[in-house]
Amino acid sequence: MKRLLQIIALIVKYERKAFLLGLLLTVTVLAMGVALLGLSGWFITASAAAGMAGLGILFNVFAPSAMVRFLALGRTAARYGERLLTHDATLRALSDLRIRLLEGLLTRPHRELEKLRANAFLNRVTADIDALDGALLRLVLPAFAGWVVITLTGALLWWLVHPSIGLVVGLGYLLLPTLVFLIGQRIARRPSRQVEAALMASRTRLIDLIAGRDDLTMYGQLQAVAAHVQGAFERHSRTTRKLDRIQRRTGLGLDLIGAALTASALGLGARLVQAGEISAAQAAIGVFAALALAETVAPVRRALAEIGGMVMAARRVLPSVAAEAPEERSVHVSEGAVLEMSGVGYRRGGSAAALFAPVNLTVAPGETVALAGPSGSGKSTLLLLAAGALAPAEGAVRWGGRPVAELSQDNRAHSIALVPQRHALIAGTVAENLRLAAPAAGDATLWEALESVCLAETLRARGGLDLRLGFRGVGLSGGEARRLVLARALLRRPQLLLLDEPTEGLDDATARAVMAGIRAALPEAAILMAAHRAAELSCAGTCLQVAPEKTAHRPDAASVMRNLIRIKYGS
Amino acid sequence: MTAPAEPSRLPEPPEPERRGILLALLPALTWPLQAAVIAWVLGGLLTDPAQVPALGAAAAFLALAALRAGCEALAQRVLSEAADARIVALRAEIVTREAGSADAARHGGAGAMAALAGEKLEALRPYLTRYRPARLRAMVMPLVILALALWHSWAVALILLLAGPLIPVFMALVGWAAKAASERQMVEIGALSDLLVDRLAALSDLRLIGAGGPLVTGFAEASERLRDRSIAVLRIAFLSSTVLELFSALGVAMVAIWVGFTLLGELGWGSWGAELSPAAGIFLLLLAPEFFQPLRDLAAAWHDKAGADAVLAEVEAWRAEPRAARLGQGVALPPSGPLPVLRLSGLCHHGIRYPELEISPGDTVAITGPSGAGKSTLLRLIAGLERPEEGVITLGAAPLDAASADVWRGRIGWMPQAPHFLARSLRHNIGFGASVAPEAAHLGGVLEALPRGLDTMLGERGAGLSGGEARRVTLARAMQGAPGLILADEPTADLDAQTAAAITEALLAFARRGGTLVVATHDGALAARLLRQVSLGPAAGGDA
Repeated sequence: MKRLLQIIALIVKYERKAFLLGLLLTVTVLAMGVALLGLSGWFITASAAAGMAGLGILFNVFAPSAMVRFLALGRTAARYGERLLTHDATLRALSDLRIRLLEGLLTRPHRELEKLRANAFLNRVTADIDALDGALLRLVLPAFAGWVVITLTGALLWWLVHPSIGLVVGLGYLLLPTLVFLIGQRIARRPSRQVEAALMASRTRLIDLIAGRDDLTMYGQLQAVAAHVQGAFERHSRTTRKLDRIQRRTGLGLDLIGAALTASALGLGARLVQAGEISAAQAAIGVFAALALAETVAPVRRALAEIGGMVMAARRVLPSVAAEAPEERSVHVSEGAVLEMSGVGYRRGGSAAALFAPVNLTVAPGETVALAGPSGSGKSTLLLLAAGALAPAEGAVRWGGRPVAELSQDNRAHSIALVPQRHALIAGTVAENLRLAAPAAGDATLWEALESVCLAETLRARGGLDLRLGFRGVGLSGGEARRLVLARALLRRPQLLLLDEPTEGLDDATARAVMAGIRAALPEAAILMAAHRAAELSCAGTCLQVAPEKTAHRPDAASVMRNLIRIKYGS
Repeated sequence: MTAPAEPSRLPEPPEPERRGILLALLPALTWPLQAAVIAWVLGGLLTDPAQVPALGAAAAFLALAALRAGCEALAQRVLSEAADARIVALRAEIVTREAGSADAARHGGAGAMAALAGEKLEALRPYLTRYRPARLRAMVMPLVILALALWHSWAVALILLLAGPLIPVFMALVGWAAKAASERQMVEIGALSDLLVDRLAALSDLRLIGAGGPLVTGFAEASERLRDRSIAVLRIAFLSSTVLELFSALGVAMVAIWVGFTLLGELGWGSWGAELSPAAGIFLLLLAPEFFQPLRDLAAAWHDKAGADAVLAEVEAWRAEPRAARLGQGVALPPSGPLPVLRLSGLCHHGIRYPELEISPGDTVAITGPSGAGKSTLLRLIAGLERPEEGVITLGAAPLDAASADVWRGRIGWMPQAPHFLARSLRHNIGFGASVAPEAAHLGGVLEALPRGLDTMLGERGAGLSGGEARRVTLARAMQGAPGLILADEPTADLDAQTAAAITEALLAFARRGGTLVVATHDGALAARLLRQVSLGPAAGGDA
């Protein structure tokens, strides 16, 4: 609840003016509605009284009837303005919130970002933000406006009708629905959480079923996973019914409160007329106003249905949104910077054992250094350490003479590029994928990068830069995707290029051409790569064996050579 | 994302739903009685205050209101349970059909299908619980109130009659526009979901080449587009409800003014020549808003209908797609007897003709050829994941068909090039509930590196596993349950020499124990160590 309030404060801050104006209009709409019904009731009853007394000619009918028309039309106009304004403000604020969330996530540590699974993310960004759209429209605005209008009405009834009617109607509407809301949201909290968890589980499981269809078929697990999905959907249905029941009961409570207050106004009014304290027309105002106020508490029902989801969404969204961007230190990496690693060690996920024996290396501009070693020995980890995405457990990683971790994210992004093993391509054209790295690059520059990785010819035959890729780059073969990712990294023109097995999936001749193309495109870059193919190793000036901690030994040239020879003749 | 012009319709409502709709009419019918109580009390206070039983009248009003609220709650209960049953049935249909199809839906990726089955189908709930009862109320209540008004005054009936029928005309016009706009919005939401899964999957890697900023910018544009469309939908929705409110406000104001002037004695027409009693005047004023209320409820529900229609059209488009049925059920069936001889004869699929092939138990076959030659497809054909367009695959004497597919697959260890790991533990991903012996699974190195070992949770794309580790897990999964045949697609691609050697050794050891191997590969070293090599198609392109 506290986090929800913080999010609401953020939303209000984004669009303060529109919010205040919206609140004003909401109050206007509700107040006019109550005034319209109260005035009409008074007008008719008073007219009847005047008519019966034969005083019809003396009764000023024009002011009230003009007032009735004004309220009727004014309320309609105010309502349109109020709806449009508050919805627009909310959507604007939510769009800001979405973007801030993504920006916040970008500042998170690498491992955390990697672990957060796409499904959970998807749910977080779309569903959570959508859930929060009700916070302003269906929670805060109706609550404030409702309280204001009920208080005003109570005061007016006190003054125009009778203190007792003002008190009963005003306090009754002010306190009882609020109480129902507070109790209702407490009871609904658990079921709302269960409904949401069930929907999230069914989403993850359905994605597993559809994306893993073939594997699951092969392992005879298809029906089991389908049943697993169904199980989640059934749980969703069960909990939804439970939540529905709570909402029906609170709705019933609200209906009865409105009815009881109107009945009180009616009975009390009749008694007061009988006692001669007020006129019948005044009693009519009380009854009609009590009827009209039911409109102000109607949103409680909707708010109760949504508050559970909102609280949960706020809890998840807030940490990422509230994350302030880390202080940017403007440290510039000069030309000719050198990458140095001294005694670097790393431990994976809190395990005590170091992943590899301490590593010492230097990569100067124009130099190419290869990291060799079996899978799992930590080559990829070393690259992440060099990029500053991970912090070493021991030793230091320096880039341009400074610890790489001290550089701001911007600075790192500007001078270092790491191409991991996976092909991080997105749905869109080839040009869109390339321009992620260089938004301002012209077509000629893009083609140049494609030439460097021997992809230009292949693409030219298939639609060139406008070739449209499916989600995650579907439509390219593994080797093509690999080269496209390399071309994209070249477009950033980094001073330090980190490559993780860059030519995997390419035939030997192409691999050699690609390695030569990369060097030709970035003659001054320091290149560090995880490599195991002859085509890669042969273009490296230095080769460093990454060894497990247990068998720690200094890089052994002979073993590297043996490895090289085996690879050369083996393939 | 396709959205055909024809909206699909739900079948006619089943019995409980009809009952709920009728039940929802009762609360509306109670209102004239409540109004009569108020009118009678206020009228009595004007003529003879002493005769009014204040407490009794208040109690009567309260009792009627309680009846009304009770009926309302009961109707809601019946309706929401019926709606839930509908949604459950639709979801079951999606799960069953997606599980039973051999190919992916063109309708959208896994993310889009999950969005459809999840939050989009939720849009049917308000439609089913609100629209249908609102439609019945809109048909019945105005007539009831018109009749009551006519009884007292033809003038009031005339005012209502004039203001009322114009409303549906306006609503139809606005409803059209709202539906088109809302369809556009639904498409946009689906596209945004897919776009988001796609971008988020690439987020960590794109940050490493410093492309996080442009990624956010691209997403911001998509988000803004969604906002624009949402506002377009809302503007129309609000316009239609404003038109309605305008008419109802004018109607009520005119009734109030006519009643007021008549009671004053200024107007002498409109009440069938008789004098309008104060109670009747107040009664008419209380009824007037209720003449318009059902129409306003229907208008509000109209937008639920527009949203639901868009979702139903999407369901219909998905349903209309021809999908190839999967061979077999995809359940685990224990095989019996020895591995049959596999024969491929006259296979032609997607324009590729495959050589005649006979694979006996214990055979080791390398399928080689350039990419695009059909190596992976051949493995999928053998596995029964695709049906050949021409030719037959036989297992011993029997053809590979729906009846034999599951038993056949029970004998196969499957090593795809890009496996999908379930969002469950590593243990479950290997054994699917069966116990996993790590030492037998060639996993040793992988487990040491994972702090939580076999209990590590995997996600999409095997989060937390490196390429080599994922391949080892795939191998372990294939070896699990002692298969007779392993089908491996490029088992050594993208691996360093040592891991590739380890995988190769594991596969060869399996063959030495009498296992049959069919490996699609471009790794010459691996192919050379198998008994036979089958080469497919001519070379093309720079890929290996």
